[in-house]
Amino acid sequence: MGDQIKIKVADLIGSPLCISAEDGQKVFDKIEQLLRAGKQVSISFENVSMLISLFLNVAIGQLYGSFSEDEIRTQLKVEGLSSDDMELLKHVVDNAKKYYSNKKSYDDAWLEENNNEE
Amino acid sequence: MKLNLGTIRSNCSGFEGIAHIADKTKNICYDSIELDFSSCSFFEANMAAPLYAVIARLRDELNDVTIANVPSGVSRILRKNKFLSIFNQPDLLDINQTTLPFKIFKLHAGEQFNDYLDTYMKGRGIPTMSKALTKRFRQSLFEIFLNATIHSQSSSGIFVCGQFYPNKHRLDFTIADAGVGIRENVRRYTGKATLNSCKAIEWAMTDGNTTKTGNQPGGLGLKLIKDFIRMNGGKIQLVSRFGYYEFSANGEAIQKMDNDFPGTCINIEINTDDTGSYCLKSELKNEDIF
Repeated sequence: MGDQIKIKVADLIGSPLCISAEDGQKVFDKIEQLLRAGKQVSISFENVSMLISLFLNVAIGQLYGSFSEDEIRTQLKVEGLSSDDMELLKHVVDNAKKYYSNKKSYDDAWLEENNNEE
Repeated sequence: MKLNLGTIRSNCSGFEGIAHIADKTKNICYDSIELDFSSCSFFEANMAAPLYAVIARLRDELNDVTIANVPSGVSRILRKNKFLSIFNQPDLLDINQTTLPFKIFKLHAGEQFNDYLDTYMKGRGIPTMSKALTKRFRQSLFEIFLNATIHSQSSSGIFVCGQFYPNKHRLDFTIADAGVGIRENVRRYTGKATLNSCKAIEWAMTDGNTTKTGNQPGGLGLKLIKDFIRMNGGKIQLVSRFGYYEFSANGEAIQKMDNDFPGTCINIEINTDDTGSYCLKSELKNEDIF
């Protein structure tokens, strides 16, 4: 394991707005590459003025499709997030764990009722 | 072709009135369509966004859309929020600065949407809201806006506008598109080809459900907005094709509309006096998250 590598999100995407899936993908690609190389990664949200779930799903949630929870827990950390954004990230992470552990788990039984067609 | 538009308020019958125009003009192209406002005694400003979704569809089919007989009170509202500028009518100065004007954004205009909010939400007639409320409100608007850019698949863009009601301490903001609608996306994703609009909306409101493809988690945006609106004591209205959904302190309701709204529209109304913090009592650390 080498030194910790810091990803400054606002610098990487060239904007203080963490809103789009494209920018989220850019951040994901970087993190994925570094985690694969066994690096310790710190994601810094300094100077980010807006952060939404759509971005975090792609940038961080998606990691649970490539790495185990253990790997992520030991190699990844975040900094520069306000407490409400930490909460948002927690929602995203919990949702991602659920998504990858049991894909297509939605209960589609009720979707069968099509008695009200349009 | 001449069509009458009645009074339009931000409620189910207002959306029905707008969807009725779409229904009457379905499959019409290269025609002239006059929207007659003579029986419209009131038009709630934020409803300009869904009305434009209908007009955008008509203009896509190269119809010439005009308006006529707009009562002076309604004209004042719609000139103040710059909606009538799409019919080449002059804007009216919004002296009280309570309007977030009607605007069309292209699908990749997230940054411009941010500039728009910066311009129209700060230091104007819209009250200074708590920092936490402002942040959650803006986050909610971005969630809706970005979702619309992904799911609408409409080159017409995203239509937005808002209105502050000082006496009621309420701020309404509406985001509409002329896209395929939630029903179409959920039908494609689930393979249920006859799924109706209300079921599709219910599906989309369920935590973790998303029609986004590409092996990525999603489907949190609407849940987060609903949580926020619940705490704030506000209201959400979501209209997509034949489905009308509303959530507020009075409860949650979904109903089938008689007319087909050609796209999706979300209106969120917040209580601007709210001083809640929207945070858990204990702060989360890295080890609590991953």
